[in-house]
Amino acid sequence: MAVGPGQFMLARVDDVARWAQSSSVWPLTMGLACCAIEMMTATSSEYDIARLGSEVFRSSPRQADLMIVSGRVSQKMGAVVKRLYDQMADPKWVISMGACASSGGIFDNYAVIQGIDTIIPVDVYVPGCPPTPDGLLYAVNLIQQQIREGGRGGIVASA
Amino acid sequence: MSVYAKPLSPEVVSQGDNTMVLSMGPQHPSTHGVLQIVLEIDGENVVKADPEIGYLHTGIEKTAEGLFWTQAQTVIERMDYLAPSSNALCYSLAVEKLLGITDRIPERAQIIRVMDMELTRIASHCVWLGTHGIDLGAISVFFYCFDLREHILDLQEANGGARMHPNYMRVGGCNGDLPDGYLARLDALIEKFPGRMRELRGLLQANPIFQDRTIDVGVLTPEEALQWSVTGPSLRASGVAYDVRKAYPYTGYDTYEFDVPSRTEGDAYARFLVRLDEMDQSIRIVQQARKRLDTPGPVMIDDPKVALPPKETIALSMEALIHHFKLISEGFRVPPGDVYQNVESPRGELGYYIVSDGENRPYRVRTRPPSLYNLQALKGIAPGNLIADLVVMIGSLDPVFGEVDR
Amino acid sequence: MPSTQNPPIAGAAIDPPSLRPPIDDAAIERVESAQLRERLEALRRDGYAVLLDLGAVDYLRRTPRFDVVYHLLQLAPVRAGVADVGSPARKRVLCGIESSQHLPTVMDLWKSADWAEREVYDLFGIVFDGHSDLRRIQMPRDWEGHPLRKDYPMRGPERERAPRPAFANKSNVVAGTPPAGRTLEALQEQVKRARES
Repeated sequence: MAVGPGQFMLARVDDVARWAQSSSVWPLTMGLACCAIEMMTATSSEYDIARLGSEVFRSSPRQADLMIVSGRVSQKMGAVVKRLYDQMADPKWVISMGACASSGGIFDNYAVIQGIDTIIPVDVYVPGCPPTPDGLLYAVNLIQQQIREGGRGGIVASA
Repeated sequence: MSVYAKPLSPEVVSQGDNTMVLSMGPQHPSTHGVLQIVLEIDGENVVKADPEIGYLHTGIEKTAEGLFWTQAQTVIERMDYLAPSSNALCYSLAVEKLLGITDRIPERAQIIRVMDMELTRIASHCVWLGTHGIDLGAISVFFYCFDLREHILDLQEANGGARMHPNYMRVGGCNGDLPDGYLARLDALIEKFPGRMRELRGLLQANPIFQDRTIDVGVLTPEEALQWSVTGPSLRASGVAYDVRKAYPYTGYDTYEFDVPSRTEGDAYARFLVRLDEMDQSIRIVQQARKRLDTPGPVMIDDPKVALPPKETIALSMEALIHHFKLISEGFRVPPGDVYQNVESPRGELGYYIVSDGENRPYRVRTRPPSLYNLQALKGIAPGNLIADLVVMIGSLDPVFGEVDR
Repeated sequence: MPSTQNPPIAGAAIDPPSLRPPIDDAAIERVESAQLRERLEALRRDGYAVLLDLGAVDYLRRTPRFDVVYHLLQLAPVRAGVADVGSPARKRVLCGIESSQHLPTVMDLWKSADWAEREVYDLFGIVFDGHSDLRRIQMPRDWEGHPLRKDYPMRGPERERAPRPAFANKSNVVAGTPPAGRTLEALQEQVKRARES
C-alpha cells in the first residue's frame, strides 16, 4: 500500500497513546539483591530488554514508568521503596521480580517485608529465585499487554 | 515507623561553614546496590563520607539457625550473590570440619569444587568490571563482560540446575556428577577465554580516560588497609600478597600451580589490574582441573549418616531407605564445637564461624563478610577526593550488599 | 519439618573450646572481660595487626550468656610477597559476658572494629564503652529489640503468631485486586467483560 501525499490516517487517541506507552516502558533502577543481577543480565546482549522498548533504565523516579522491584526488601528499604513509588508520575506500573519481592521468598523472618504488595500495588509477579531473565522479559510483555488492553493488577508471570 | 524514611538525623548534619550534607543513595545508579553514603561536601570535594548500610538486612544468620544444616546452605548462599559458590564452599568446608569428614571427601568432588570456585571468581569479576565500566561511562564493557558471564552461567545451570544459587556444593561433596557434554562446553570456554580477555583488556586498560580517572584515586597504604581489615584484591593491590588459597590451602589448592597477582600502588587502577590478572590465573587453574576431570569417580562422600544413599538402592536395601528417611526428615547431627573456616572469595577472605551444639541445626553462623570491611575503608580513603572519585572508589572496592548487610 | 519456626534453644550449657580438641588452626583462648582490653592490647603489640572479625554468640542457657569472639591475624603492615606472607598465625579470643555487662571498645586498636561493634550492639544488645558512635547499623534507627538474641522471635514481635498464607491466596493488599494466583486467561476474561459492559 503506497502512502502518497495528502492522505490521512485515523485512529483513536487512546489507542495511539497506549501503543506509545507500551512500546517505551522505561524502568526505574530498583535493583536490590540477586534478582538485580538477573535484571542487569536482561539488559545485556543475550536477552536485550531494549528491544521491548526499555531502552534505558532511569535512576530518577520522575522519569520512569515501570518499577521493577528486584530483590528482598528489608525493613529499612521498605520506606524507601514506598517513597520512590510515590514520586513516580502516573501512569506507573510495578513488577515484583522474584520470590522475595512477591511474598518474602525464602526469608520468613523479622527482617524482610513479606511481599512489596503490602506497601505498593503490584501489576505482575515474577516467580523464581532468581527468575531467569526470560521470566523478566515475559513479565514486561505482560505489562505491555496490560497497558494496551487495560485491566491491571496481580498477574503471575508463569508458563 | 513513619512512612517516609528520614535518612539524615540531626547528629549527622554538621555545623560546618561551607559544607553541605548530601545523601547519596540508597537508590543510586552508581552505588552498586543499596548503599547510602551521607556525604559532607565542600563544593565537589568530599570532606567526610559516612556509609549507611542495613538496607538489605535479611536476617540470614538468624534464619539459618532455624533450618537443617543442608537447608541452611540455601539461605547462606544468597549472601554474596555474585559468587554463590564461595559461600557454599566455605560453609560446606566448615561443617565438614565439624563433622570430621574432611579427609573423606572424594577427590573428584574436590576437583569439581575448585573448578566451580574459579569459574565463579571469573563470573564475579565480570560483573565487577561491567558495572565499574558502566559507572565510569564505558557502557560497552558491560555488554562484553556479561556475555562472557553468560557462558559460565550456562555451565552452572547445566551442572547445578540454576544460573545463580545452584546449591551444588553440599556438605560431603557435590550434588551429582557433571552432566554429559559439560566437559566439551568447558573446553570450548577455555579456548574462547584468552581472546575474550584480550578484548576486555583492550577496552579499558590503556584507555587514557580510564587511566586518568583511576590512577592515584583511592590510594590505600598497607598500614591503612590492614587497619581496616581489607582483604582480597584490594589488599593485594596495596602490596600485601595475602591470599587464603596460598596461606591456608583448602580443597587441594596446594596441588594447583597459580600465581597471586599483586601490585604496590594501591590505587583504583592497581585494583583493576589485579582483578584482571586474577581472571587469567583462574582460567589457568580451571585448565589444570579440567585435565584431572577425565578420570571418573564418586562426587559425594560414601557415608549414609551425612549424604543421601543413591536413589536406586532404596528399593533394595532397608538401611538405605531408613537413612534416606532420616536425612530428609531430620537431617544429620553435627557434634558440638566451633570452627572458623576461611576461603578466598572474589572479594577477600570470607569466613564462617560456626557453632554447633550437637543438634541437627546450626546454633550460630557468624559470617566474616569481606565486603563489610572493604567498604568500611571508604571512610578512610574518601575524604579529600571529588564526588566523582567516590564512584570510582566504590567500584574498585567491589562491595556486594547481600554480604555487607546479610 | 522445620521451616522458620523458632529454633529449639540448646539444652546443655556449651562451652565449645573445652569440648573437643581444636579443629581449625587458630590458637583459641578465653579471657575474662576485666582482662580483655589488656590482652588485646598485648596481642596488638605482638604483631596481630589485623582484626579479621568481631562477632557474638548467644548461649541463652549458660552463664555468662554471651560470648564475644575476636578473630585476629598476625600479618605485618608492610608490602610482602606470597612467600614472605606465608601462613600467618591466627588467634581466636573469646570473652564471656552477661547482658548487663559492657565491654571496652577496640576501635582505637583496629579501625575495622567500628562497624563490627555497632553490629554486635544492634543485633545482640552488647554495649561497647568508648565507641565514638554506637548506634544501630542493620536495623532501622527506631527498632526495638535485638534480633539475633535467642529469645527474639524469628518472625519479629508483631508477626509471631500470624500464619503465612499460600501465595495463591495472597492478595494485592494495597491495590485491592483479587488474589495473586490468577492467570493470564482470567485477566483476558476481565478485560473482555469490562469492554462488553
